[in-house]
Amino acid sequence: MPFHQHAFLKFFDLESRCFMPTKYRKMTTGLICALLLLPIFAGLVGTLLPAFHYFPPLGETEFSFTPWQNLFSNTEFFASLKLTLITGILAPIMALWLALALLAWGYEKPFFRPIENLLAPILAIPHAAIAIGLVFLLSPSGWLVRLFSPWLTGFERPPNWISVQDPYGLSLIFALVIKEMPYLLFVMLASMKSIQARDSLQACQSLGYGRFTAWRKVLIPQLYPLIRLPLFIVISFSLTVVDLALIIGPNTPSTLAVTLFRWFNDPDLTMRFNASAGAISLMLIIIVVLAGWELSHRLLAKLTRAERSNGKRRGLSDHLLSIGTILACFSLLIGLLALVILPIWSLTKRWRFPDVFPASWTWDNLERAAPLLMELTNNTLLIALVSTLLASIISLAMLEIKRVSHGSSQPSSHAFDWLIYVPILLPQIGFLFGLHVLLIHLNLNGDLIAVMMLHFLYALPYVYLTLKNPYLAYHQAYLEQANRLRPCVWRNYLTVKLAMLKPALFTAFAIGFSVSVAQYLPTLIAGEGRYSTLTTEAVTRAASGDRKQVGSMALLQTLFPIFVFWLALVVPPRWTKWRLAFKSLFIRTTRA
Amino acid sequence: MIKSILAASISSALLFTSPITKADWQDIQQEAQGQTVYFNAWGGADNINQYIQWAADRIEDQYQVTLKQVKLTDTADAVNRVLAEKAAGQDTQGSIDLIWLNGENFRAMKGNQLLFGPFSQALPNYQNYVDENARQSLTQDFGTQVDGMESPWGMAQVIFMYDTATLSTPPKSMTQLLAYAQANPGRITYPEPPQFLGSTFLKQALYELSPHRKALSQPVDQVDFKKVTAPLWAYLDQLHSVAWRRGQNFPSGAEEMMRLLDDQEIDVALSFDVSAASVQIDQGNLPDTVRSYVFQGGTIGNTHFLAIPYNSSATAGAQVVANFLLSPEAQIHKQTPTVWGDLSVLSYDKLSAADQQKFDDLPRGIATLSIEELGQTLPEPHSSWVSALETEWRKRYAN
Repeated sequence: MPFHQHAFLKFFDLESRCFMPTKYRKMTTGLICALLLLPIFAGLVGTLLPAFHYFPPLGETEFSFTPWQNLFSNTEFFASLKLTLITGILAPIMALWLALALLAWGYEKPFFRPIENLLAPILAIPHAAIAIGLVFLLSPSGWLVRLFSPWLTGFERPPNWISVQDPYGLSLIFALVIKEMPYLLFVMLASMKSIQARDSLQACQSLGYGRFTAWRKVLIPQLYPLIRLPLFIVISFSLTVVDLALIIGPNTPSTLAVTLFRWFNDPDLTMRFNASAGAISLMLIIIVVLAGWELSHRLLAKLTRAERSNGKRRGLSDHLLSIGTILACFSLLIGLLALVILPIWSLTKRWRFPDVFPASWTWDNLERAAPLLMELTNNTLLIALVSTLLASIISLAMLEIKRVSHGSSQPSSHAFDWLIYVPILLPQIGFLFGLHVLLIHLNLNGDLIAVMMLHFLYALPYVYLTLKNPYLAYHQAYLEQANRLRPCVWRNYLTVKLAMLKPALFTAFAIGFSVSVAQYLPTLIAGEGRYSTLTTEAVTRAASGDRKQVGSMALLQTLFPIFVFWLALVVPPRWTKWRLAFKSLFIRTTRA
Repeated sequence: MIKSILAASISSALLFTSPITKADWQDIQQEAQGQTVYFNAWGGADNINQYIQWAADRIEDQYQVTLKQVKLTDTADAVNRVLAEKAAGQDTQGSIDLIWLNGENFRAMKGNQLLFGPFSQALPNYQNYVDENARQSLTQDFGTQVDGMESPWGMAQVIFMYDTATLSTPPKSMTQLLAYAQANPGRITYPEPPQFLGSTFLKQALYELSPHRKALSQPVDQVDFKKVTAPLWAYLDQLHSVAWRRGQNFPSGAEEMMRLLDDQEIDVALSFDVSAASVQIDQGNLPDTVRSYVFQGGTIGNTHFLAIPYNSSATAGAQVVANFLLSPEAQIHKQTPTVWGDLSVLSYDKLSAADQQKFDDLPRGIATLSIEELGQTLPEPHSSWVSALETEWRKRYAN
């Protein structure tokens, strides 16, 4: 027996009551944690040292506080910070509010299905493409104004409005909400089974509680703990996003992440010190905001406890949910319009203000992009599939370990829970530069493996998070019963447990896949530009502002994640039917 | 008479140096065979990427060197990458073999010893066709001495664009631009510094507005920055109040400005690419009534270059590429408006009659200005001005 098979069998100790390792549990956890820690540590050190003016390549080997002094005397830093806090806190609040409202309004209603189906495409669209679609929709020369000009507005030329990139960041918040609300809704829907929402809802309604009231008093308090971490990711994303803010965010000043991005890229290499100090501040800010968020949540929970249990069947704050529903539908509609507009642009030759539709059409834009397609698609799919598959396997292994060690104190397993979020909670730009130095040391720079590993690092938390609650909420008795009936532990795990977790697994894979497809900076930095993906190409083109090219690229880039999302939605409920049909077909053909 | 003396002296100079150089060059070509050159170049324009692909095919055929373009959104990424490699002690086998750059990026790389060289003056095509005295920008890249550490590739000059269908007489100086903006609020803007075109707009304005022109060629810490730039800020304060989106937003660069011009949000766009208007009309991104023009007092122009990082693993291949890109064949193809339209760096007088004819025969797009129409080129101020102007601009207008 080859060694690895032997080890494998031993690893999954078949004799034990549980499927996963008992003997090697600690070692596996330790190993995986160490593998995660290494890049995080390298990335952090690579950012921390320059923040204290230590950077040998520039001949700086003396520690000092100069970068911090420079940072704190820079007025743009504070202006950017203010804007970041406004947009980074308001956007998640709005997204959460609208997602909850939409869920409360539509859950289990027949007309809600189409909206649920809409989530996947919106979720899968790269941020840059959405932002560009929104800019075209909302800007003074955008589609909305065109629809009403000049017959209603009298505008022969676009008005001098600031409807996008406004100095308060409202359009940025709007874009963030459009991006984040579907994600939260998606995660919520995936968690609905574990809180037995249908039963609670029926019980509440039979007791005479209004639908929104039932959600507010019973379901949301149960749901919140399950979506706390996705919410934290959303908050950190809002605080650190670069591409969205570049396109639709204000630029005088820009958000802190964009300002840092510019400093890191400043030809004056000493700006790197300020940028590193700024990146460290941004990390601290994320921690403070998350702590503040959690504190406010507890406070709010405490303040509303009396109201929630006062027994009243209706409440004034139900209206918050109804208003939220209207706003949510509105933003979904806008998001959808932004989506529709991209393919139109990719087929446009001439389209001037105030024409509602292009004056002339062409295939040229797509044709010009065609030769690139094969290579880009190849890279994109290969990287996304490998990294997401790896992330799914690691997530399953870690979750099984977590499930088994539940109750017994297992600090390393808990460390893993937090460790995987560190990469996505850290601002990409500062963290990745430090990491790049490590890759060079390992001689992995510009290597496909390095790209896949970085994508894995970013896909893992999303996959793990999406899988975690459904997996841990799984009723283990099914598997135990199966094991009693048939002692093939492996097979039972696959055909009973994982099969029952199919919806969650597919969802997790789809999210991991779309996260991988959307990665820009990690691909660029680890791949050193030698491995272009549809995203790196699309962002390169987005920077040029050519909507036709961006439209074409975004169209292609969106295709695959949408397809995978569609599969995640369509396959699990039909899986068994198809499998049985296939089986009977197979039996029939073999008999014949 | 003078010409023949000049020719004689050049040929004698060549006679004197060429045996060694020629042998060296043959060695380099030999060494280059089979090498792959990773060319990090801004990848935001299709026509430029296609030109690089064309060059790659030619170079593969002629020299058996593989040229691969790594498309950048920002040249500073490549500078950062070399820096990261130096940080990791990777002094050989670097990931970049050739960078398209100029100005600040060149100064940063040269100043931090991140470049291979000097090499450019030894390239055969440089010796044969480049006249260093033709333009100051060939030897002084934004005031930084080139010293053979980068090889010239093309020349750029600021041009302005307007739509003849909506505008009959475009503003032809900074003062006229302000007057136009005041009469037509919301229709004038410029790219946001530190985007290079935005910074160039500031320099252009400074040239026209400041009475202390000479100070601009000196390092910024040797002059009274406040005094020299006071008229610029006074001007911008006035302009912003009547600018596009009230001076609270600025376009990201030339491409966005052309889109805004097409959308009729603004009336005047600018670009560093003299053929930009023709190319965009051809692609359906601008109406065919758009034309280019330059300011009465001239506009800022510069040269862009190719440099080799100190840790490149294919320095020979990179030199072969740089040399090919300096050939009359490559430069003529590059200046073809339907290809790229980027101005040649070769000296017209040094070319063969046949090549001169080819340059003469190049068609121009309907919206591209001739060399004569481009008029006087204003030199770039010393490169230290860029960051000083950008910092001050952001301090004033970005918070």
